Amino acid sequence: MKQQIGERLEACVQKLNDGRLTAQDLSSVLDGIDDARQELLYLQAHSTAVTSEALGMLLVVDGQVDDGPSDPEQWPYRSVLEAMRDGWRVISFPNMALLALDDRTYGLGCEFVLERWR
Amino acid sequence: MTQPPSTYDCPPTLTDTQVLEFCKQGFLMLESVVPDEVNQRAIDYLNQDTHYEPMGILEQDWFIENVICNSEAVGVVRSLLGRDFLLPVLMSNHRRQCPWTSQGGWHVEGGTIYEPGFNHILVFYLPQDTPVEMGPTEVLPGSHHFMSQQRFMAHLGNIKGAVRTAAPAGSIFMADYGIWHRAAGGSGIGTRDMLKYMYWRTTPPTRDWLIEPDFDLAHTNYEEGVKEFGEQFRTSLDVARLFVWLTGKGDHYKHDGGQAWPLPARRIGTPFGFPAELSNW
Repeated sequence: MKQQIGERLEACVQKLNDGRLTAQDLSSVLDGIDDARQELLYLQAHSTAVTSEALGMLLVVDGQVDDGPSDPEQWPYRSVLEAMRDGWRVISFPNMALLALDDRTYGLGCEFVLERWR
Repeated sequence: MTQPPSTYDCPPTLTDTQVLEFCKQGFLMLESVVPDEVNQRAIDYLNQDTHYEPMGILEQDWFIENVICNSEAVGVVRSLLGRDFLLPVLMSNHRRQCPWTSQGGWHVEGGTIYEPGFNHILVFYLPQDTPVEMGPTEVLPGSHHFMSQQRFMAHLGNIKGAVRTAAPAGSIFMADYGIWHRAAGGSGIGTRDMLKYMYWRTTPPTRDWLIEPDFDLAHTNYEEGVKEFGEQFRTSLDVARLFVWLTGKGDHYKHDGGQAWPLPARRIGTPFGFPAELSNW
């Protein structure tokens, strides 16, 4: 969606330069923006660093839950940073409240939740 | 038909090293320990009784003798739960009609409690060949040391280090009740039965499994072979604590911090912090 809006804006700029820009052209830039769907990426990492090794993953894409490839070597991202470089935005950082509990391991690694809109 | 006895005893079969390995991994697989004719009889029975709790099978002598009291299986149970352990009181069948495309969610069993020690064991019996295509249970080694609850695991997907317990017919898979696991999807064709049951401890823990004279409690590596998911060296602490508890000397387990026992290291002499009470056992 972000790419589509960018292309529409470029077209508007071109029309502006040519003296052909209309109010309808500007209004249409945001057409369909309400149809965009949120996608989620859960990444459990070894530590709170965005460069840390991914230990677990799950995607919610196109309204479908997807575990991704069973072979970790085939996972789309090896770290949170790799996902960010591909356009994912971090919306939840690992819960630091667990720092207060050092008597055992709670849950799976340090969990990041990322989103993008398509 | 006879009712199964409430308790059972038999010789233990695991060695120190094997008990330690169970403490590390949280599960073990006994492959093809049930005879083929018993596997077929179990399948035939489960085709007649398709209830998810086919309790009547616990009243079948052939099943009690060859599965519940299977010598290799109860040898493991005896090693981990001590003498006079309690036999199963409930039988569940996790039947799948393959192909089964969806993955089950990661979970710990309902009723999991987090306490020091090891007082019951979870068992799965596979009467038919269960290759990857027939959706064997997927398990996360070492996860019996992680605290979680089913409701907070539903968003987990693929996990690095998870293994699928594919096994031939007649295999019995045994695990810590709190191990993380899920049903894997299967692209094969046919019915996959998987009977689930458990045993309980009735006696205090003691080191009465097969003792290895050279087993060195002070210098053994408590985390070798286990993928680390938590804090550095946490695995060593969890595994050592559980192993020492099983020997019956759990009250003497301690970690004095830092590089003290049971952290892995190349040491000269007895490791600092090694409890004196564990020296002569």
